[in-house]
Amino acid sequence: MKPMLSTDLNVAETTAEKAKIEVKNLNFYYGQSKALKDINLSLPERSVTAFIGPSGCGKSTLLRVLNRIYELYPKQSAEGQVLLDGKNILDRSQDLNLLRTKIGMVFQKPTPFPMSIYENIAFGVRLYEKISKAEMDNRVEQALKRAALWNEVKDKLNASGQSLSGGQQQRLCIARTVAVKPEVILLDEPASALDPLSTAKIEELIDELQADYTIVIVTHNMQQAARVSRQTAFMYLGELIEFDRTEKIFTSPREKRTQDYITGRFG
Amino acid sequence: MTAVSEAVTSSAIRTREATVRRFALTDTIFRTVTRLSAILVLVLLGGVAVSLIAGSWEALSKFGFSFLTTESWNPVTENFGALAPIYGTVVTSAIAILIAVPIGIGIAVFLTELCPRPLRRPIGIAVELLAGIPSIIYGIWGLFVFAPFLQTTVQPFIINLFHGIPGLASLFAGPPYGIGLLTSSLILAIMVLPFITSITKDVFDTVPAVLKESAYGIGCTTWEVTRRVVIPYTRVGIMGGVMLGLGRALGETMAVTFVIGNAHRISASLFAPGTTISATIANEFTEADGELYTSSLVALGLILFIITFIILALARYMLLRIDSRTGA
Repeated sequence: MKPMLSTDLNVAETTAEKAKIEVKNLNFYYGQSKALKDINLSLPERSVTAFIGPSGCGKSTLLRVLNRIYELYPKQSAEGQVLLDGKNILDRSQDLNLLRTKIGMVFQKPTPFPMSIYENIAFGVRLYEKISKAEMDNRVEQALKRAALWNEVKDKLNASGQSLSGGQQQRLCIARTVAVKPEVILLDEPASALDPLSTAKIEELIDELQADYTIVIVTHNMQQAARVSRQTAFMYLGELIEFDRTEKIFTSPREKRTQDYITGRFG
Repeated sequence: MTAVSEAVTSSAIRTREATVRRFALTDTIFRTVTRLSAILVLVLLGGVAVSLIAGSWEALSKFGFSFLTTESWNPVTENFGALAPIYGTVVTSAIAILIAVPIGIGIAVFLTELCPRPLRRPIGIAVELLAGIPSIIYGIWGLFVFAPFLQTTVQPFIINLFHGIPGLASLFAGPPYGIGLLTSSLILAIMVLPFITSITKDVFDTVPAVLKESAYGIGCTTWEVTRRVVIPYTRVGIMGGVMLGLGRALGETMAVTFVIGNAHRISASLFAPGTTISATIANEFTEADGELYTSSLVALGLILFIITFIILALARYMLLRIDSRTGA
C-alpha cells in the first residue's frame, strides 16, 4: 500500500510559500535494514518544522540525511532525492563541506570543541572566510548575541568552551552554527539534556531564528513541538504518517496513529 | 505480641550489626593491603635512588660537578666524564621522537579516520607486532642489514647533497661509517613507533562520535577535524604515548649498543659514532675493574634516572600549562 500523503499534505503549497527543502521518495538503509520508507515532504523556507514520533521511528535518521552526516559511517545509505533550493544534495557531485556550511546542525548533547569560547565560533568562520580580527570579533559577538549567550560570556571569551554549563554549551553550539551563516539549521533534540530554564531559552531562540533560517527540529517532547514549530511531521516505524500545520496535528489529526501518539496512548 | 515483635527486631538488628562488623574488618584489611601496595612503589623508587647514589658516591665525590661536563672517558688514567654518553642519549632519543611522533600520529589518524574497514585490523596488528620484536633483533638487523645499507647508499648521498652548505655540511659530515648516532636514532624511531601509534590510536577512538560529527557538520575536512578537534581533545593521551616512547628510547640498550659505535666523543656530525648512557654501561660493566670505574658507571645510571625524571616532570608541567590556558 502506497501512503497517500506525499502531495496532498504539502504545507508549502497550501501556504503558498517557497519550499526550501523537498524530500522525494527517500529510502534509508542501515546495512540491510530499512530505516526510512518512501518519505516525501516539503519544508517551507524560514519556518520551524518539527519531526516527532516514538524512539526508533526514523526522525533523527531523516534529519541526518539532510546534511549527509550519515556518510561518516559505512553501511549507511540513502536512496531518492533531497532537493535544497531545487538541487539534489544526495547527488555524488555535491561538495559535502559546502553543503554543511549551508545546513548547520546542533546535536542532542552539547559538543563544544576543545578550544576557547571565542575560538569555538571563530573556528568555523575561518574555514571559509578570510576576515580581519576586528570583523571576526564583531562576528563572534553577533553570533553570541544571536544565541542569547553574549551577556554571560563576554568577560571570559578566552575560557574553554567546556567550562560552560550544559545549557550555555548548547547555546554556544547554536552560536557556532549561526556564525557560519547557514541557510538551514538542523536541531537534533537540542534541549533533551537541559534543565527547564535552559530549554525555555533555547526555544525562545528558535522562535527568533526562524525569521532568518529554515529550521528543522527533532524532538521527543510534544509540548516543545507544539510550542516552537509551524508544521509538524509525525513519523512511525520509518514512515511519514502525517505532515501538516502544527495546530492541525495537535488538535485534529487526520490519522488515528497520530492521535494515539499525541494523546500519549503509545510511544 | 509487642514483646515478640520487639524480640524479632532486636535479633534482626544484632545479625545486621554482626554483618556490618564483618564488613568493617574485611574493609580494613582491603584498605591496608592496597595502601601497602602503593607505599611499596615509593619504597622501591626510593631504594633504587638510594642505591644509585650510594654506588656512584665515589665517582661523584672525586669528580664533582665536572663529571657532567667532561667529555673524556679514560679507564687507564681513571679519568671519567659523562658528557659524551649524556649527549648521545639525549640526541638519539630526541631525533627518534622527532621522527616517530609525526609518523605515529599519521598512522593513528589513518587507522581511525581514513582507513577502509577491512584494512584496519591487519595494519593495527602489524604495528603492535613491531612492539613485540625483541630489541636484540633490532640490534642485529641494524648492524648487519640497516647500517651497511645506510653506509653504501643513503649516507654518501646525503653527504654529497649537503656538501658546502654551512651547518648542514658539518651535521652530515663523512666518512660514512654506517653505524653512528643517526643510525641509532632511526632504529630507536622504529622501536618507539608502535607505542606512540597504538596509544594515539586508542585515545583517538575515545573522541565522542558526536563531537566529530559536529565538526564535520560545520563543514570541516578530515584534516581540519583531526588537527583542530581530535588532537586537541586527546592531547593528554598523545603526550602520554610520546612520553612512554621517549622513556623507552632513553633507556633502550641492546639495539643501540649494536649500532651506535660506542665511541666516547662528541662530534658535530650525526654520522659519527657516539655512545649513550645505557650502551656505555652495558658495554663496560664486565671490564670495569677499578672501584672508581664501577662507581662512574653507576653514576651514569643515576644520571639516566634523573634525565628520565626531569623529562616526565617537564611533560607534566607542559600539560598543566596547556590545561590552564584552555581552562579544561
